[in-house]
Amino acid sequence: MSNGITFYAIFFAAIFTNNILLTNYLGMCSFLAVSREVKTSQGLGMAVAIVMAATSVLNWLAYRYILVPLDLVYLRFIVFIVIIAAFVQLIEMIIERVSDSLYASLGIFLPLITVNCAILGVCLFMVIREYTLLQAFFYGLGSGIGWALAIIAMAGIRQKMAKARVPKGLAGAGITLIIAGIMALAFMGFSGMIQIT
Amino acid sequence: MAQAAQAEQADESAEIKKKIPAVKWQVPNKRVLYALAPVVVTSIYLFGWRSLLLLIVVSVAAYLTEFVFVRSYYKEPVTSAVFVTAFLFTLSLPPTVPIWIALVGIVFGVAIGKMAFGGFGRNVFNPALTGRAFIYISFGAYMTSSWVEPFKSFPGGFINFLSDATTKATPLAGGAASHLPLFFGNVSGSLGETSAVLLLLGGIYIMVKKAANYRIVLSGVIGMLAFQTVLWAAGVRNALDPLAAATSGGFMLGILFMATDPVSAPGTNKARWIYGALIGVLTVLIRTFSIWKEGVMFAILLGNMFNPILDYYIKQRKTKEDGK
Repeated sequence: MSNGITFYAIFFAAIFTNNILLTNYLGMCSFLAVSREVKTSQGLGMAVAIVMAATSVLNWLAYRYILVPLDLVYLRFIVFIVIIAAFVQLIEMIIERVSDSLYASLGIFLPLITVNCAILGVCLFMVIREYTLLQAFFYGLGSGIGWALAIIAMAGIRQKMAKARVPKGLAGAGITLIIAGIMALAFMGFSGMIQIT
Repeated sequence: MAQAAQAEQADESAEIKKKIPAVKWQVPNKRVLYALAPVVVTSIYLFGWRSLLLLIVVSVAAYLTEFVFVRSYYKEPVTSAVFVTAFLFTLSLPPTVPIWIALVGIVFGVAIGKMAFGGFGRNVFNPALTGRAFIYISFGAYMTSSWVEPFKSFPGGFINFLSDATTKATPLAGGAASHLPLFFGNVSGSLGETSAVLLLLGGIYIMVKKAANYRIVLSGVIGMLAFQTVLWAAGVRNALDPLAAATSGGFMLGILFMATDPVSAPGTNKARWIYGALIGVLTVLIRTFSIWKEGVMFAILLGNMFNPILDYYIKQRKTKEDGK
Protein backbone atom coordinates (compact mmCIF):
# COMPACT_ATOMS: atom_id res chain seq x y z
CA MET A 1 0.00 0.00 0.00
CA SER A 2 2.83 2.38 0.73
CA ASN A 3 4.14 4.05 -2.41
CA GLY A 4 7.47 4.97 -0.92
CA ILE A 5 7.28 8.77 -1.09
CA THR A 6 8.68 10.36 2.03
CA PHE A 7 6.25 12.46 4.04
CA TYR A 8 8.32 15.64 3.79
CA ALA A 9 8.42 15.35 -0.02
CA ILE A 10 4.63 15.14 0.05
CA PHE A 11 4.47 18.06 2.45
CA PHE A 12 6.52 20.40 0.25
CA ALA A 13 4.93 19.18 -2.96
CA ALA A 14 1.48 19.91 -1.53
CA ILE A 15 2.53 23.47 -0.78
CA PHE A 16 4.43 24.30 -3.98
CA THR A 17 4.42 21.91 -6.94
CA ASN A 18 0.90 20.59 -6.43
CA ASN A 19 -0.68 23.58 -4.71
CA ILE A 20 -4.32 22.56 -4.32
CA LEU A 21 -5.57 26.02 -5.28
CA LEU A 22 -3.19 27.05 -8.04
CA THR A 23 -2.74 23.72 -9.81
CA ASN A 24 -6.05 21.95 -9.11
CA TYR A 25 -8.23 25.09 -8.82
CA LEU A 26 -10.06 23.70 -5.80
CA GLY A 27 -11.51 25.96 -3.13
CA MET A 28 -11.98 28.79 -5.61
CA CYS A 29 -15.27 30.12 -4.19
CA SER A 30 -14.02 31.13 -0.76
CA PHE A 31 -10.71 32.19 -2.35
CA LEU A 32 -12.54 34.74 -4.47
CA ALA A 33 -15.01 35.82 -1.81
CA VAL A 34 -12.84 36.22 1.29
CA SER A 35 -9.59 37.59 -0.18
CA ARG A 36 -10.40 41.27 0.09
CA GLU A 37 -8.51 41.89 3.32
CA VAL A 38 -5.34 40.35 4.66
CA LYS A 39 -6.69 39.93 8.17
CA THR A 40 -9.73 37.88 7.27
CA SER A 41 -7.84 35.76 4.77
CA GLN A 42 -5.24 34.98 7.41
CA GLY A 43 -8.02 33.67 9.66
CA LEU A 44 -9.62 31.65 6.91
CA GLY A 45 -6.28 30.29 5.71
CA MET A 46 -5.36 29.11 9.19
CA ALA A 47 -8.76 27.51 9.73
CA VAL A 48 -8.55 25.68 6.41
CA ALA A 49 -5.06 24.38 7.21
CA ILE A 50 -6.15 23.00 10.58
CA VAL A 51 -9.34 21.43 9.27
CA MET A 52 -7.59 19.90 6.26
CA ALA A 53 -4.91 18.26 8.37
CA ALA A 54 -7.44 16.88 10.86
CA THR A 55 -10.11 15.70 8.42
CA SER A 56 -7.62 13.99 6.14
CA VAL A 57 -6.60 11.83 9.11
CA LEU A 58 -10.19 11.20 10.21
CA ASN A 59 -11.30 10.34 6.72
CA TRP A 60 -8.32 8.09 6.20
CA LEU A 61 -9.27 6.15 9.33
CA ALA A 62 -12.91 5.99 8.29
CA TYR A 63 -12.01 4.82 4.80
CA ARG A 64 -9.50 2.21 5.88
CA TYR A 65 -11.33 0.73 8.87
CA ILE A 66 -15.02 1.24 8.08
CA LEU A 67 -15.64 1.66 4.37
CA VAL A 68 -13.17 -0.86 2.99
CA PRO A 69 -13.97 -3.79 5.39
CA LEU A 70 -17.72 -3.28 4.95
CA ASP A 71 -17.34 -2.98 1.17
CA LEU A 72 -19.00 0.45 1.19
CA VAL A 73 -16.35 2.34 -0.75
CA TYR A 74 -18.97 3.77 -3.12
CA LEU A 75 -20.39 5.73 -0.19
CA ARG A 76 -17.14 7.61 0.35
CA PHE A 77 -18.37 10.97 -0.96
CA ILE A 78 -21.26 11.13 1.49
CA VAL A 79 -19.24 9.77 4.38
CA PHE A 80 -16.37 12.19 3.81
CA ILE A 81 -18.68 15.20 3.62
CA VAL A 82 -20.53 14.16 6.77
CA ILE A 83 -17.29 13.68 8.66
CA ILE A 84 -15.95 17.06 7.53
CA ALA A 85 -19.18 18.85 8.47
CA ALA A 86 -19.39 17.13 11.84
CA PHE A 87 -15.76 17.88 12.63
CA VAL A 88 -16.13 21.54 11.72
CA GLN A 89 -19.25 21.92 13.87
CA LEU A 90 -17.56 20.23 16.80
CA ILE A 91 -14.46 22.42 16.54
CA GLU A 92 -16.62 25.53 16.32
CA MET A 93 -18.49 24.63 19.48
CA ILE A 94 -15.30 23.84 21.36
CA ILE A 95 -13.61 27.08 20.32
CA GLU A 96 -16.67 29.11 21.27
CA ARG A 97 -16.55 27.61 24.77
CA VAL A 98 -12.82 27.81 25.32
CA SER A 99 -11.69 31.15 23.97
CA ASP A 100 -13.60 34.21 22.84
CA SER A 101 -10.65 35.83 21.08
CA LEU A 102 -9.83 32.64 19.18
CA TYR A 103 -13.47 32.33 18.22
CA ALA A 104 -13.50 35.88 16.92
CA SER A 105 -10.40 35.33 14.79
CA LEU A 106 -10.99 31.75 13.67
CA GLY A 107 -14.43 30.51 14.61
CA ILE A 108 -16.46 32.73 12.34
CA PHE A 109 -14.75 31.19 9.31
CA LEU A 110 -15.47 27.59 10.23
CA PRO A 111 -19.01 27.39 8.78
CA LEU A 112 -17.55 28.64 5.50
CA ILE A 113 -15.17 25.72 5.41
CA THR A 114 -17.75 22.95 5.62
CA VAL A 115 -18.49 23.37 1.94
CA ASN A 116 -14.94 24.18 0.79
CA CYS A 117 -14.31 21.79 -2.08
CA ALA A 118 -10.55 21.85 -1.49
CA ILE A 119 -11.03 19.86 1.72
CA LEU A 120 -13.11 17.15 0.08
CA GLY A 121 -10.63 17.23 -2.80
CA VAL A 122 -7.71 16.54 -0.48
CA CYS A 123 -9.54 13.57 1.06
CA LEU A 124 -10.35 12.09 -2.35
CA PHE A 125 -6.81 12.57 -3.72
CA MET A 126 -5.45 10.87 -0.65
CA VAL A 127 -7.64 7.82 -1.33
CA ILE A 128 -6.83 7.72 -5.06
CA ARG A 129 -3.09 7.98 -4.43
CA GLU A 130 -3.24 5.32 -1.69
CA TYR A 131 -1.36 7.31 0.92
CA THR A 132 -0.50 5.86 4.30
CA LEU A 133 -1.80 7.57 7.44
CA LEU A 134 1.38 9.63 7.94
CA GLN A 135 1.46 10.61 4.27
CA ALA A 136 -2.22 11.58 4.40
CA PHE A 137 -1.65 13.80 7.42
CA PHE A 138 1.25 15.66 5.81
CA TYR A 139 -0.60 15.90 2.53
CA GLY A 140 -3.55 17.51 4.31
CA LEU A 141 -1.36 19.86 6.32
CA GLY A 142 0.74 20.85 3.29
CA SER A 143 -2.31 21.46 1.12
CA GLY A 144 -3.83 23.60 3.84
CA ILE A 145 -0.67 25.67 4.20
CA GLY A 146 -0.41 26.01 0.42
CA TRP A 147 -4.01 27.17 0.24
CA ALA A 148 -3.41 29.68 3.05
CA LEU A 149 -0.26 30.97 1.32
CA ALA A 150 -2.14 31.58 -1.91
CA ILE A 151 -5.10 33.34 -0.31
CA ILE A 152 -2.86 35.56 1.85
CA ALA A 153 -0.76 36.57 -1.17
CA MET A 154 -3.96 37.29 -3.07
CA ALA A 155 -5.33 39.38 -0.21
CA GLY A 156 -2.11 41.42 -0.17
CA ILE A 157 -2.44 42.10 -3.88
CA ARG A 158 -6.11 42.99 -3.66
CA GLN A 159 -5.58 45.27 -0.69
CA LYS A 160 -2.82 47.08 -2.58
CA MET A 161 -5.14 47.38 -5.56
CA ALA A 162 -8.05 48.74 -3.55
CA LYS A 163 -7.55 52.19 -5.03
CA ALA A 164 -6.52 51.06 -8.52
CA ARG A 165 -8.89 51.96 -11.35
CA VAL A 166 -9.62 48.55 -12.81
CA PRO A 167 -11.82 48.72 -15.94
CA LYS A 168 -15.45 48.54 -14.83
CA GLY A 169 -16.26 45.21 -16.41
CA LEU A 170 -13.31 43.57 -14.70
CA ALA A 171 -13.75 44.92 -11.18
CA GLY A 172 -14.20 42.36 -8.41
CA ALA A 173 -14.26 38.72 -9.45
CA GLY A 174 -12.95 39.40 -12.95
CA ILE A 175 -9.61 40.90 -11.99
CA THR A 176 -9.29 38.42 -9.12
CA LEU A 177 -9.53 35.53 -11.56
CA ILE A 178 -6.93 37.18 -13.80
CA ILE A 179 -4.58 37.57 -10.83
CA ALA A 180 -5.19 33.95 -9.85
CA GLY A 181 -4.35 32.94 -13.42
CA ILE A 182 -1.04 34.82 -13.40
CA MET A 183 -0.26 33.38 -9.97
CA ALA A 184 -0.86 29.90 -11.36
CA LEU A 185 1.43 30.79 -14.29
CA ALA A 186 4.17 31.73 -11.83
CA PHE A 187 3.61 28.54 -9.83
CA MET A 188 4.15 26.54 -13.02
CA GLY A 189 7.82 27.32 -12.37
CA PHE A 190 7.85 24.73 -9.61
CA SER A 191 6.57 21.94 -11.82
CA GLY A 192 8.66 18.83 -12.04
CA MET A 193 10.58 19.44 -8.81
CA ILE A 194 8.86 16.70 -6.83
CA GLN A 195 6.54 14.06 -8.28
CA ILE A 196 3.86 12.80 -5.95
CA THR A 197 1.20 11.38 -8.23
CA MET B 1 -30.57 72.61 -25.47
CA ALA B 2 -29.64 68.97 -25.29
CA GLN B 3 -28.18 69.11 -28.76
CA ALA B 4 -26.12 72.16 -27.90
CA ALA B 5 -24.79 70.45 -24.79
CA GLN B 6 -23.89 67.40 -26.81
CA ALA B 7 -22.09 69.47 -29.39
CA GLU B 8 -20.21 71.22 -26.63
CA GLN B 9 -19.22 67.89 -25.15
CA ALA B 10 -18.05 66.66 -28.53
CA ASP B 11 -16.01 69.84 -28.92
CA GLU B 12 -14.48 69.32 -25.53
CA SER B 13 -13.50 65.73 -26.21
CA ALA B 14 -12.04 66.77 -29.55
CA GLU B 15 -9.99 69.36 -27.76
CA ILE B 16 -8.79 66.79 -25.22
CA LYS B 17 -7.83 64.49 -28.05
CA LYS B 18 -5.74 67.23 -29.59
CA LYS B 19 -3.96 67.95 -26.33
CA ILE B 20 -2.91 64.36 -25.70
CA PRO B 21 0.62 63.79 -26.99
CA ALA B 22 1.46 60.56 -28.75
CA VAL B 23 3.81 59.44 -26.00
CA LYS B 24 4.43 60.82 -22.53
CA TRP B 25 8.18 60.49 -21.95
CA GLN B 26 9.29 59.85 -18.40
CA VAL B 27 12.91 60.28 -17.33
CA PRO B 28 13.47 56.93 -15.54
CA ASN B 29 12.04 55.02 -18.48
CA LYS B 30 14.22 56.92 -20.92
CA ARG B 31 17.28 56.00 -18.86
CA VAL B 32 16.37 52.32 -18.95
CA LEU B 33 16.04 52.58 -22.72
CA TYR B 34 19.49 54.23 -22.99
CA ALA B 35 20.94 51.45 -20.86
CA LEU B 36 19.37 48.84 -23.14
CA ALA B 37 20.49 50.43 -26.42
CA PRO B 38 23.98 48.84 -26.46
CA VAL B 39 22.39 45.47 -25.69
CA VAL B 40 20.10 45.88 -28.69
CA VAL B 41 23.05 46.72 -30.96
CA THR B 42 24.93 43.68 -29.66
CA SER B 43 21.95 41.45 -30.32
CA ILE B 44 21.99 42.61 -33.96
CA TYR B 45 25.73 41.93 -34.16
CA LEU B 46 25.36 38.47 -32.64
CA PHE B 47 22.16 37.23 -34.22
CA GLY B 48 21.43 39.37 -37.30
CA TRP B 49 18.97 42.06 -38.39
CA ARG B 50 16.00 39.89 -37.57
CA SER B 51 16.34 40.96 -33.92
CA LEU B 52 15.82 44.61 -34.89
CA LEU B 53 12.80 43.70 -36.99
CA LEU B 54 11.39 41.76 -34.03
CA LEU B 55 12.00 44.71 -31.72
CA ILE B 56 10.19 47.12 -34.04
CA VAL B 57 7.21 44.83 -34.55
CA VAL B 58 6.89 44.19 -30.82
CA SER B 59 7.22 47.88 -29.93
CA VAL B 60 4.52 48.89 -32.41
CA ALA B 61 2.20 46.16 -31.16
CA ALA B 62 2.79 47.15 -27.55
CA TYR B 63 2.15 50.80 -28.34
CA LEU B 64 -1.07 50.05 -30.22
CA THR B 65 -2.36 47.75 -27.46
CA GLU B 66 -1.87 50.41 -24.83
CA PHE B 67 -3.17 53.08 -27.21
CA VAL B 68 -6.50 51.29 -27.63
CA PHE B 69 -6.97 51.11 -23.85
CA VAL B 70 -5.84 54.59 -22.81
CA ARG B 71 -7.50 56.52 -25.59
CA SER B 72 -10.86 54.82 -25.45
CA TYR B 73 -11.04 54.44 -21.68
CA TYR B 74 -8.83 56.79 -19.71
CA LYS B 75 -8.30 59.66 -22.19
CA GLU B 76 -4.60 59.76 -21.39
CA PRO B 77 -1.40 59.56 -23.41
CA VAL B 78 0.53 56.32 -23.80
CA THR B 79 3.46 56.38 -21.36
CA SER B 80 7.02 55.54 -22.34
CA ALA B 81 6.97 52.59 -19.94
CA VAL B 82 5.34 50.54 -22.67
CA PHE B 83 8.55 50.76 -24.71
CA VAL B 84 10.59 49.51 -21.78
CA THR B 85 8.19 46.58 -21.62
CA ALA B 86 8.56 45.98 -25.36
CA PHE B 87 12.38 46.17 -25.22
CA LEU B 88 12.68 43.82 -22.26
CA PHE B 89 10.17 41.41 -23.76
CA THR B 90 12.00 41.28 -27.10
CA LEU B 91 15.43 40.89 -25.52
CA SER B 92 14.18 37.90 -23.54
CA LEU B 93 13.05 36.01 -26.66
CA PRO B 94 15.09 33.40 -28.54
CA PRO B 95 16.42 34.68 -31.91
CA THR B 96 14.34 32.25 -33.97
CA VAL B 97 10.96 32.88 -32.36
CA PRO B 98 8.15 33.20 -34.95
CA ILE B 99 6.90 36.76 -35.11
CA TRP B 100 3.26 35.85 -34.52
CA ILE B 101 4.19 34.21 -31.22
CA ALA B 102 6.03 37.36 -30.15
CA LEU B 103 2.91 39.36 -31.04
CA VAL B 104 0.65 37.09 -28.99
CA GLY B 105 3.00 37.45 -26.04
CA ILE B 106 3.34 41.22 -26.07
CA VAL B 107 -0.38 41.83 -26.59
CA PHE B 108 -1.21 39.46 -23.73
CA GLY B 109 1.42 41.07 -21.51
CA VAL B 110 0.28 44.64 -22.09
CA ALA B 111 -3.48 43.98 -22.20
CA ILE B 112 -3.83 41.44 -19.38
CA GLY B 113 -0.65 42.08 -17.39
CA LYS B 114 -0.93 45.86 -17.35
CA MET B 115 -4.06 47.48 -18.75
CA ALA B 116 -6.49 45.14 -16.99
CA PHE B 117 -4.95 46.28 -13.71
CA GLY B 118 -5.60 49.93 -14.53
CA GLY B 119 -2.62 50.83 -16.68
CA PHE B 120 0.72 52.46 -15.98
CA GLY B 121 1.86 52.40 -12.37
CA ARG B 122 -0.78 49.96 -11.22
CA ASN B 123 0.29 46.59 -12.56
CA VAL B 124 1.07 43.97 -9.92
CA PHE B 125 3.10 41.71 -12.19
CA ASN B 126 5.82 42.74 -14.63
CA PRO B 127 3.97 42.95 -17.98
CA ALA B 128 6.94 41.83 -20.08
CA LEU B 129 7.35 38.71 -17.99
CA THR B 130 3.62 38.01 -17.85
CA GLY B 131 3.58 37.99 -21.65
CA ARG B 132 6.72 35.89 -21.84
CA ALA B 133 5.47 33.33 -19.31
CA PHE B 134 2.25 33.02 -21.29
CA ILE B 135 3.97 32.14 -24.57
CA TYR B 136 6.70 30.13 -22.80
CA ILE B 137 4.11 27.74 -21.46
CA SER B 138 1.76 27.83 -24.46
CA PHE B 139 4.38 27.41 -27.22
CA GLY B 140 7.18 25.63 -25.37
CA ALA B 141 8.76 24.07 -28.46
CA TYR B 142 9.38 27.42 -30.16
CA MET B 143 10.59 29.07 -26.99
CA THR B 144 13.03 26.47 -25.73
CA SER B 145 14.33 24.12 -28.39
CA SER B 146 15.64 25.94 -31.45
CA TRP B 147 18.63 28.13 -30.68
CA VAL B 148 21.20 29.53 -33.08
CA GLU B 149 24.95 29.99 -32.70
CA PRO B 150 25.93 33.67 -32.70
CA PHE B 151 28.21 35.14 -35.36
CA LYS B 152 31.82 35.06 -34.23
CA SER B 153 33.72 37.51 -36.45
CA PHE B 154 33.37 41.19 -37.23
CA PRO B 155 30.72 42.24 -39.68
CA GLY B 156 28.79 39.37 -38.15
CA GLY B 157 25.08 39.95 -37.88
CA PHE B 158 25.33 43.42 -39.37
CA ILE B 159 25.25 41.91 -42.88
CA ASN B 160 22.98 38.96 -42.15
CA PHE B 161 19.31 38.53 -41.40
CA LEU B 162 19.57 35.56 -39.07
CA SER B 163 22.36 33.24 -38.08
CA ASP B 164 21.69 29.85 -39.63
CA ALA B 165 23.96 27.71 -37.47
CA THR B 166 21.39 26.00 -35.31
CA THR B 167 22.17 24.36 -32.03
CA LYS B 168 20.01 22.46 -29.59
CA ALA B 169 21.52 23.69 -26.36
CA THR B 170 22.14 26.94 -24.53
CA PRO B 171 24.96 27.10 -21.97
CA LEU B 172 22.34 26.57 -19.27
CA ALA B 173 21.39 23.23 -20.77
CA GLY B 174 24.96 22.03 -20.77
CA GLY B 175 26.34 23.56 -23.97
CA ALA B 176 29.68 25.37 -24.11
CA ALA B 177 30.34 26.99 -20.77
CA SER B 178 33.68 28.69 -20.33
CA HIS B 179 33.60 31.99 -18.50
CA LEU B 180 34.92 34.50 -21.00
CA PRO B 181 32.37 33.98 -23.82
CA LEU B 182 29.59 34.01 -21.24
CA PHE B 183 30.85 37.33 -19.97
CA PHE B 184 31.15 38.99 -23.40
CA GLY B 185 28.12 37.37 -24.90
CA ASN B 186 29.10 35.32 -27.94
CA VAL B 187 27.18 32.25 -26.80
CA SER B 188 23.79 31.00 -27.87
CA GLY B 189 20.79 32.21 -25.95
CA SER B 190 17.98 34.74 -25.99
CA LEU B 191 18.54 37.98 -27.91
CA GLY B 192 19.54 40.25 -25.10
CA GLU B 193 20.65 37.97 -22.32
CA THR B 194 24.01 36.79 -23.61
CA SER B 195 26.37 39.68 -22.95
CA ALA B 196 26.83 39.91 -19.20
CA VAL B 197 29.26 42.82 -19.38
CA LEU B 198 26.94 45.15 -21.31
CA LEU B 199 24.00 44.27 -19.09
CA LEU B 200 26.13 44.95 -16.05
CA LEU B 201 27.24 48.35 -17.36
CA GLY B 202 23.68 49.29 -18.26
CA GLY B 203 22.48 48.05 -14.89
CA ILE B 204 25.07 50.14 -13.04
CA TYR B 205 24.02 53.18 -15.08
CA ILE B 206 20.34 52.87 -14.12
CA MET B 207 21.23 52.12 -10.50
CA VAL B 208 23.42 55.23 -10.26
CA LYS B 209 20.68 57.28 -11.89
CA LYS B 210 18.17 55.81 -9.40
CA ALA B 211 15.95 54.33 -12.09
CA ALA B 212 16.55 50.97 -10.42
CA ASN B 213 16.98 50.18 -6.74
CA TYR B 214 20.41 48.76 -5.90
CA ARG B 215 19.09 46.85 -2.87
CA ILE B 216 17.11 44.47 -5.04
CA VAL B 217 20.06 43.77 -7.33
CA LEU B 218 22.56 43.34 -4.51
CA SER B 219 20.49 40.95 -2.44
CA GLY B 220 19.40 39.09 -5.57
CA VAL B 221 22.96 38.49 -6.71
CA ILE B 222 24.13 37.54 -3.22
CA GLY B 223 21.19 35.17 -2.68
CA MET B 224 21.76 33.57 -6.05
CA LEU B 225 25.52 33.15 -5.67
CA ALA B 226 25.25 31.84 -2.11
CA PHE B 227 22.65 29.20 -2.91
CA GLN B 228 24.32 28.22 -6.18
CA THR B 229 27.66 27.80 -4.36
CA VAL B 230 26.05 25.51 -1.81
CA LEU B 231 24.48 23.32 -4.50
CA TRP B 232 27.64 23.32 -6.61
CA ALA B 233 29.86 22.43 -3.67
CA ALA B 234 27.45 19.67 -2.70
CA GLY B 235 27.82 18.29 -6.21
CA VAL B 236 24.14 18.39 -7.14
CA ARG B 237 23.47 17.19 -10.68
CA ASN B 238 22.86 20.06 -13.18
CA ALA B 239 24.35 22.66 -10.86
CA LEU B 240 26.70 24.98 -12.78
CA ASP B 241 29.55 26.71 -10.99
CA PRO B 242 28.35 30.01 -9.46
CA LEU B 243 30.18 32.36 -11.83
CA ALA B 244 28.92 30.60 -14.95
CA ALA B 245 25.42 30.42 -13.50
CA ALA B 246 25.39 34.15 -12.79
CA THR B 247 26.54 35.14 -16.28
CA SER B 248 24.55 32.63 -18.32
CA GLY B 249 20.87 32.56 -19.12
CA GLY B 250 18.63 35.48 -18.31
CA PHE B 251 19.76 36.11 -14.75
CA MET B 252 21.60 39.39 -15.42
CA LEU B 253 18.84 40.77 -17.61
CA GLY B 254 16.22 39.66 -15.11
CA ILE B 255 17.72 40.87 -11.87
CA LEU B 256 19.06 44.17 -13.26
CA PHE B 257 16.22 45.26 -15.50
CA MET B 258 13.09 43.24 -14.76
CA ALA B 259 13.14 42.68 -11.01
CA THR B 260 13.92 46.36 -10.45
CA ASP B 261 10.83 47.62 -12.29
CA PRO B 262 9.70 50.13 -9.65
CA VAL B 263 5.99 49.45 -10.18
CA SER B 264 5.99 45.72 -9.55
CA ALA B 265 8.82 45.77 -6.97
CA PRO B 266 8.08 46.37 -3.28
CA GLY B 267 7.84 49.86 -1.81
CA THR B 268 9.71 49.41 1.47
CA ASN B 269 13.46 48.89 1.76
CA LYS B 270 13.27 45.83 4.00
CA ALA B 271 10.87 44.20 1.57
CA ARG B 272 13.28 45.02 -1.28
CA TRP B 273 16.07 43.05 0.40
CA ILE B 274 13.77 40.07 0.95
CA TYR B 275 12.34 40.31 -2.56
CA GLY B 276 15.80 40.32 -4.18
CA ALA B 277 17.04 37.37 -2.17
CA LEU B 278 13.83 35.47 -2.88
CA ILE B 279 14.33 35.92 -6.63
CA GLY B 280 17.97 34.84 -6.42
CA VAL B 281 17.23 31.68 -4.47
CA LEU B 282 14.14 30.74 -6.48
CA THR B 283 16.07 31.17 -9.74
CA VAL B 284 18.64 28.60 -8.64
CA LEU B 285 15.96 26.30 -7.27
CA ILE B 286 13.89 26.31 -10.46
CA ARG B 287 16.93 26.06 -12.77
CA THR B 288 18.34 23.10 -10.90
CA PHE B 289 15.33 21.03 -9.94
CA SER B 290 12.30 21.79 -12.10
CA ILE B 291 11.51 20.71 -15.66
CA TRP B 292 12.42 24.19 -16.93
CA LYS B 293 15.96 25.14 -17.90
CA GLU B 294 15.51 28.81 -17.05
CA GLY B 295 14.04 30.03 -13.79
CA VAL B 296 14.52 33.80 -13.68
CA MET B 297 11.17 34.56 -15.27
CA PHE B 298 9.20 32.39 -12.86
CA ALA B 299 11.27 33.61 -9.92
CA ILE B 300 10.49 37.26 -10.65
CA LEU B 301 6.80 36.57 -11.17
CA LEU B 302 6.72 34.70 -7.84
CA GLY B 303 8.53 37.64 -6.27
CA ASN B 304 5.95 40.05 -7.73
CA MET B 305 3.21 37.85 -6.32
CA PHE B 306 4.47 38.06 -2.74
CA ASN B 307 5.47 41.76 -2.82
CA PRO B 308 2.27 43.35 -1.61
CA ILE B 309 2.03 40.99 1.36
CA LEU B 310 5.69 41.63 2.29
CA ASP B 311 5.09 45.37 2.19
CA TYR B 312 1.93 44.91 4.23
CA TYR B 313 3.61 42.95 7.02
CA ILE B 314 6.59 45.31 7.19
CA LYS B 315 4.40 48.40 7.35
CA GLN B 316 2.23 46.77 9.98
CA ARG B 317 5.22 45.91 12.16
CA LYS B 318 6.52 49.43 11.82
CA THR B 319 3.26 51.01 12.95
CA LYS B 320 3.20 48.63 15.91
CA GLU B 321 6.73 49.62 16.92
CA ASP B 322 5.92 53.29 16.49
CA GLY B 323 2.80 52.80 18.60
CA LYS B 324 4.91 51.61 21.52
